[in-house]
Amino acid sequence: MSERYPFKVLRKPKFQSSSLVVGWNEDAGQLGPGVIDYLTRGLGGERFGEIEPEDFFSLGGIRVEHDVAQFPESNFYSCHKNNLAIFRSTPPRFEWYKFLNSILDVAERYCGTKQLYTIGGMVALAAHTTPRALLATSSSQEVKESLKQYDLVRDMDYQTATGQRPTLNSFLLWLAGRRDIPGVSLWVPIPSYLVANEDPRGQKKVLQFFDERLGLNIDFSDIDHEIQKQNEKLAQARLRLPEVDDYILRLESNLSLSQEENERLTREIAEFLREE
Amino acid sequence: MGVKLYKRPRLKNPVMIASWPGIANIGLIAVDTLREALGAEEFGEIEPWDFFYPQRVSIKGGVLEALEFPSSKFYFKKTEKKDLIFFIGEEQPAGGSSVYAEGEKAYQIANLVLDVAEKFHCRRVYTSGAAVAPIHHTMVPRVWAVPNNPDLIAEIKKYENTILMSEIEEREGQGNIVGLNGLLLGVARKRKIEAICVMGEIPVYLQGLPLPYPKASRSVLEVLTSSLGIGVDMSKLDRWTEQLEQEIEDVYNQIPSEIKKQLEKLKQVTYAGPAEPSPITEEDKRRIMEDIDKFFKKRGRGIE
Repeated sequence: MSERYPFKVLRKPKFQSSSLVVGWNEDAGQLGPGVIDYLTRGLGGERFGEIEPEDFFSLGGIRVEHDVAQFPESNFYSCHKNNLAIFRSTPPRFEWYKFLNSILDVAERYCGTKQLYTIGGMVALAAHTTPRALLATSSSQEVKESLKQYDLVRDMDYQTATGQRPTLNSFLLWLAGRRDIPGVSLWVPIPSYLVANEDPRGQKKVLQFFDERLGLNIDFSDIDHEIQKQNEKLAQARLRLPEVDDYILRLESNLSLSQEENERLTREIAEFLREE
Repeated sequence: MGVKLYKRPRLKNPVMIASWPGIANIGLIAVDTLREALGAEEFGEIEPWDFFYPQRVSIKGGVLEALEFPSSKFYFKKTEKKDLIFFIGEEQPAGGSSVYAEGEKAYQIANLVLDVAEKFHCRRVYTSGAAVAPIHHTMVPRVWAVPNNPDLIAEIKKYENTILMSEIEEREGQGNIVGLNGLLLGVARKRKIEAICVMGEIPVYLQGLPLPYPKASRSVLEVLTSSLGIGVDMSKLDRWTEQLEQEIEDVYNQIPSEIKKQLEKLKQVTYAGPAEPSPITEEDKRRIMEDIDKFFKKRGRGIE
């Protein structure tokens, strides 16, 4: 019995030795989707394949979000001129090992992928006005060395806390390492009150790294505009809501908030941004 | 996906004892205590990645050092009376939110365990778990035993402190064993391997607490060791039981007095047949279960 491949390649991309960027739809500050959309739009990315959903998602019905029916999507894009392959997906619910291996199968067979980058946002108790950091976890010491000229935090120590599980990005990085594909997991700490919204500033931080590392020549004017728009909205929120201003001021002064205060700040900002 | 054996021990018609986590880890603790007491040697494992999501990542100095998965390991021990194979699963391969395995993955892992049992010509498999029962925590938990072959019933009847499903009121020999501790019995039946699941009783009001219940593990271990003709030191389980008793009493004392009054009646529960009337009625038991359920749900919300 021959094994059925869970992916469909619509047309074979013409890559020599590509880099693969992976991001997930459900991400803090919409970091992964924001970066990937910006890259595919800006670099003229074309969809060339997908992973079929039936093995990896519960298909007993559909989810409705913002009045619209949703369906899990797992798509590959190619940006030929830049030797860049991109994968954007809903995080799988089952068969993670098979799913992640399918990404790497497509990357190796059709894209000649030589390096992998994953993107993920993480929650941070910080103000939106503080500069975003970019944290990198490498698959090997050699990869880490190759990153030293970039503005990255490269010396992170971390162990999964009790009751938590590693992220899909760590799982994918580990699997890539087993196939001798060098990889880097990129993490941006997102201000907690922007986790459920967009964080264009965090997205730009990742885009700047890719621009430099992969020589993409990205036009940043659109994202700069987004950052400016959001900064203005948040400044208005601070003016209109003194409590919000007080919370953010405290974060700017490196003071912590209680869980209740943080939840209140997150709720107020979400409501304000929705109404605007 | 498969089994990796590091060595091929020479075993003579061994008995396999398998367990996965479940309620209060009653079965797992019993089997692991036996494995440890006998000093069984690890000789193989089921490769985890197809079945489990990783449980831990270690990043050191910015480099991914290790990704750890739940283990599923085989151990063996040659004793004077019997040769034994232990299988201990750190997690059940659940796909969604449940902690119990079901569907294709459960069936696959059960078959991999039994592949090893057959490879070494195991003549019997024991699995072990928990039985949620209307009993009081001051009582000695009994062991419910379910065989996968009616020929084993006569043998089970000779086990001490052990009952069959037909001996429990209103069950009439019916019931369910959730997860792999039960499924393995069924898959063994399909393969014509005899198997028995032994389950230690846990009071209904303790089942949802994040605490082990070593008192029931001890009951299970007594049944296992006596049926295998092996003696082990159980003092570790006894000490653990003593330590937890105070914790359980503390929880018990937080229960509102009207519910506690109902629970006190559980001290008189027996598994008497219809000819010998039970000291509390089935209606009483149902009410106790409902009250307890409501209390712990409320308590759970309070903690959140």
